[in-house]
Amino acid sequence: MATANTVHGRIESARPALTTPRVALGLTLIAILGFTLLFVQEPLVHDSLHNARHAAGITCH
Amino acid sequence: MLESYLVRGLKAGLVAGVALGLFVAVLANPMIAAAEGLAGDHGGHHASDGSGGHHAGEGGHGGQEASGVLGVVSAPLISVVGGVFWGLLLGVLTFGLAFYFLEPAIPGTGATKSAIAAAGGFVTVSGAPWLVLPPQPPGVEQALSTDARLALYAGLMLAGLSACLLAGYVYTGLRDGGRGRALVGAAVPFCTLVGLAFVLPANPATQSLPVAFVAAFRAQVVFGQAMVWTLLAGTHAWLAAGDETDEKQFATDVGVDDPVTAD
Ligand SMILES: [Zn+2]
Repeated sequence: MATANTVHGRIESARPALTTPRVALGLTLIAILGFTLLFVQEPLVHDSLHNARHAAGITCH
Repeated sequence: MLESYLVRGLKAGLVAGVALGLFVAVLANPMIAAAEGLAGDHGGHHASDGSGGHHAGEGGHGGQEASGVLGVVSAPLISVVGGVFWGLLLGVLTFGLAFYFLEPAIPGTGATKSAIAAAGGFVTVSGAPWLVLPPQPPGVEQALSTDARLALYAGLMLAGLSACLLAGYVYTGLRDGGRGRALVGAAVPFCTLVGLAFVLPANPATQSLPVAFVAAFRAQVVFGQAMVWTLLAGTHAWLAAGDETDEKQFATDVGVDDPVTAD
């Protein structure tokens, strides 16, 4: 096996696929989605997701 | 290889997300509408947390016709979609990314690994924050401001994640010395987490809602999130078992002995 089955091995074997633009795009998408669902309290966004937040037990206004 | 993990995470997330969307539509939306109806008498409480102009459409908020983006789609409907995305996000993050990197370090095999990952995800996203900020129905006045609570929630997520990672690390380190000792060692970070919750600022809540209603609401939220994580773990374990069989089949067909490096 080229890479041992360890956390370090996983990072090594993923490295070729983790090009900078891909990582940037992926992290941006996740951050936007996560941030919108968890922390945005801007009135329009908040009012729209208010029920989902309470349903998931995320603290809200 | 990372790709197949991400795809599995996405699929598991879709299953859990759709279930959560249905949960919001069928159970949570009516419950929240009821809570807002019950608490509606002392209207205007929303704006009282200091974030002025918090509710542009305050009037509609307590009623069924609360409007969402541009007032075209109803807010409860958008929340259903929000539930789907919540499931997707958890699936991709926990079972796509985290599981790919941490799988070798997670104790157990097969479905046990999936279940442990789900438990860790639950503690991180919900369990740890709920120690200080338990789920509240709308219309509950809380001592801390919204901003303070959001920051606290984020901090507790981080604390929950740290506790899980630390517990895994300790468990793996002590495993050779006996399972019992390893389990006790792994419990220490979680005890610390609970202890931390007592040290943090309290957030007394005052509510006009009946105590039984609040209890029912909380039970419902806990049930919803437990369902999400159970579905994530179950779907993921099922998909992973299937993919593994496929990979072995592929390996024997083509005569490759290592499906991982063959990619
Ligand atoms: Zn809210």
